[in-house]
Amino acid sequence: MFTNGMFFAIVGASLATALAGFGSAKGVGGAAQASMGVLSEDSSKFGKMLVLTLLPGTQGLYGFIVGFLILVNCGVLGGDMPTVGQGLAFLGASLAIGIGGMVSGFAQGRASVSGIAMSAKDDRNFSKAMVSVTLVEIYALLAFIVSLLVVISVPALKI
Amino acid sequence: MKTVRIVALREDRKRLLEHLQDSELIQVRKHKDDIDGFSMVDMTSQMQIFERNVTLTEQALKVLDDYSREKSGLLSSFKGRREIDPDEIGVIASKSTEVMRVCNNINELNKKIIDNNAEKVRINTSLNQLEVWKDLDIPLNTKDTDSTAVFIGTLPRVYTENELTETIAAENPKLEFEFEIEYAAENLTCIVLFAPISQKAMAEDALRTLGFSKPMTPTHYTPKVKAEKLRKKLEDIELENERAVKDIISLSVRREDIKITQDYFRIRADKYNVINELDHTRHVFVINGFIPEQDCEKLTALCDRVAVCYIEFGDADDDAPVLLKNNRFSRPAQNILMMYAAPSHADIDPTPLLAFFFYFFFGMMFSDAGYGLLMVVAIGIVLKVFKPDKRMRENLKLFQYCGVSTFFWGLVFGSIFGDAPASLYNFFTGANITMADILPWPTIDPQKDALMLMIISIAFGLIHILVGMGCKFYICFRDKDYGGAFFDTGLWMMLLIGIAVLGVGMATSQVVFYIGVGIAIACAVGLLLTQGRKKKGFGKVIGGIASLYDITGYISDLLSYSRLLALGLTTGVMAQVFNMLATMFGKSLIGVIFMFVILLVGHAINIGLNALGSYVHTMRLQYVEMFSKFYEGGGQEFEPFSLKSKYIKIQEDK
Repeated sequence: MFTNGMFFAIVGASLATALAGFGSAKGVGGAAQASMGVLSEDSSKFGKMLVLTLLPGTQGLYGFIVGFLILVNCGVLGGDMPTVGQGLAFLGASLAIGIGGMVSGFAQGRASVSGIAMSAKDDRNFSKAMVSVTLVEIYALLAFIVSLLVVISVPALKI
Repeated sequence: MKTVRIVALREDRKRLLEHLQDSELIQVRKHKDDIDGFSMVDMTSQMQIFERNVTLTEQALKVLDDYSREKSGLLSSFKGRREIDPDEIGVIASKSTEVMRVCNNINELNKKIIDNNAEKVRINTSLNQLEVWKDLDIPLNTKDTDSTAVFIGTLPRVYTENELTETIAAENPKLEFEFEIEYAAENLTCIVLFAPISQKAMAEDALRTLGFSKPMTPTHYTPKVKAEKLRKKLEDIELENERAVKDIISLSVRREDIKITQDYFRIRADKYNVINELDHTRHVFVINGFIPEQDCEKLTALCDRVAVCYIEFGDADDDAPVLLKNNRFSRPAQNILMMYAAPSHADIDPTPLLAFFFYFFFGMMFSDAGYGLLMVVAIGIVLKVFKPDKRMRENLKLFQYCGVSTFFWGLVFGSIFGDAPASLYNFFTGANITMADILPWPTIDPQKDALMLMIISIAFGLIHILVGMGCKFYICFRDKDYGGAFFDTGLWMMLLIGIAVLGVGMATSQVVFYIGVGIAIACAVGLLLTQGRKKKGFGKVIGGIASLYDITGYISDLLSYSRLLALGLTTGVMAQVFNMLATMFGKSLIGVIFMFVILLVGHAINIGLNALGSYVHTMRLQYVEMFSKFYEGGGQEFEPFSLKSKYIKIQEDK
């Protein structure tokens, strides 16, 4: 049906970017709402609130980077035309950061909201809140590493 | 840290405290138990006056900001407090009454505006209510005459004349009445109804069943006149407000004076707060406090100079506050440490290690020579131009050092504003070169050598963790807890090293591999044998086996360092994406303009996002992965009795 894997690779790039972006968008959105509530009381906390709000944003970046690297390697922005097998490999690789980024984005968003509430009560809690929120990130990170390692090795695969 | 006790004459109290506050040498400690013959002096009422003045000035400044915002640049938050001459304090004190009068004036004007605004709302409501009655030519509170009862009011429905006649007649057929509809729309009919005075009660009953109610704004003027009067009043209020705003704005030239006065009162409130905690007799008073050891001589000299007093130093015990001493290189990281927790007396001061790894990891994550150079230069300029206060200065320096590290890591990864040099060269010449072709030194491309870089990251992580455990080893050894040092910490360190050797062996030679396996197994056996040593009976066996399960913790710690790769890659790829977007519009004039805009905005976004990410994640690596290995925290930071001012600081004697 398909003579080359371009289609699958593009679906993969889209999934990685969109799903991870979805997770981050929801996470950052929730955190931003919470932080605006705090800022309406005390606008001097803007810097700290900004940090906590942006923390769930990394998943979207990871997804985007995987998406971009797929495009660079699959003939859209450079690289050679992938075979069907390679295209499917790109698609498979994108699922790790897509799903992992999305779900961890939700979770990190919720953690961020709590962290914002915590550091709104007492500024000294800020560093603890920040570290606690980054604990979630490791799972997005692992997903990203898996996607990344696959994507950069696909062009050499004979499938 | 030493304890200090100063005994001095009461007549010198003001002078001595002022000098102590300026010199920031000691932290005053409240005496716990009463000593015979000494008593406290209650300064609360004076303090309250000062604090109220501080609040008043704060309010006044806020009002000024509301009506004429202070012009402040984007970077003005870096600006340090203004230095003033010590002699200026006297001038400020003498002017303070007058400045407070200005503040009161501003606050009163503001209150007037607020009251007027409330009044305006009230008047507007009345005007709205009168609007429906505008055609009525008798006052709304017209009283009954001798023969006729008058009802003026509203019904909650729309009626036409006929409908209303019928409805009222149906309600009470005997009632004689005459009415006029003034207004009917939107569930509202405004009527004036006349009835013979003898039937007043009947009419009232009939109307009540229809939901009749009297108007909210009864007045003895006709609605039209009343509305006119209200409008006139509204205009007056408007004028008054304008005048008040103008007055406030004209007072905004006093802003600086108000700020200085605010600080003056704040400093005095602090001083009286300290006096509250001192022991007094009729003629002498006693200051108890803590002082860093190196400042003892300075304090003696200062006290001898300004007052007749007796000073006694003593050794501090464990609950004394901690003052960290670090060199220029590691001092900026102290803030990071203090955000976690101040070291207790059982801890070592980890700042130098923290500083080194902080700069190192931040650079590796941010990893761009262009961004690094930008950070170093921009912060250098801010430090020179704005002369920020100590805390801000240290924070900026932290990022400056991070910038240096970022610069070098950028060179290692071959990233200068991403691949900007190569892509711009390609854009203008049509060539097809990469960064690796331009840079004369060998680079690591995180996109191609990701696996290798991940291994390097984890290796750095291993070193980081081992350093943390090394600290634990040292602390245990120092406290003569040899079991804790060798068994709990040492064996784990060796085990991790063994696994690392094993890993190296897998890639290189069989011999190294077996050495690694040997070390790892030996350490594992050692752990099995020693970890149950504090337990009893069967627990000894279980304890040993259970402790080996900790290996999962170490593995997840190590994997956590893969963020060094991930964030480094993020910076590089994002920069590359923006460079690619920028060069997509062709070589026409518009294309080149687009290119510059995109490069500027794109790299600004990238710096913002990734500097934040690098900062947060570096901090996390320190707090979670390293500090958890040895750092207890929970100490008290040394907070000297000082000028806690917002706008001014006293020049030091040179």
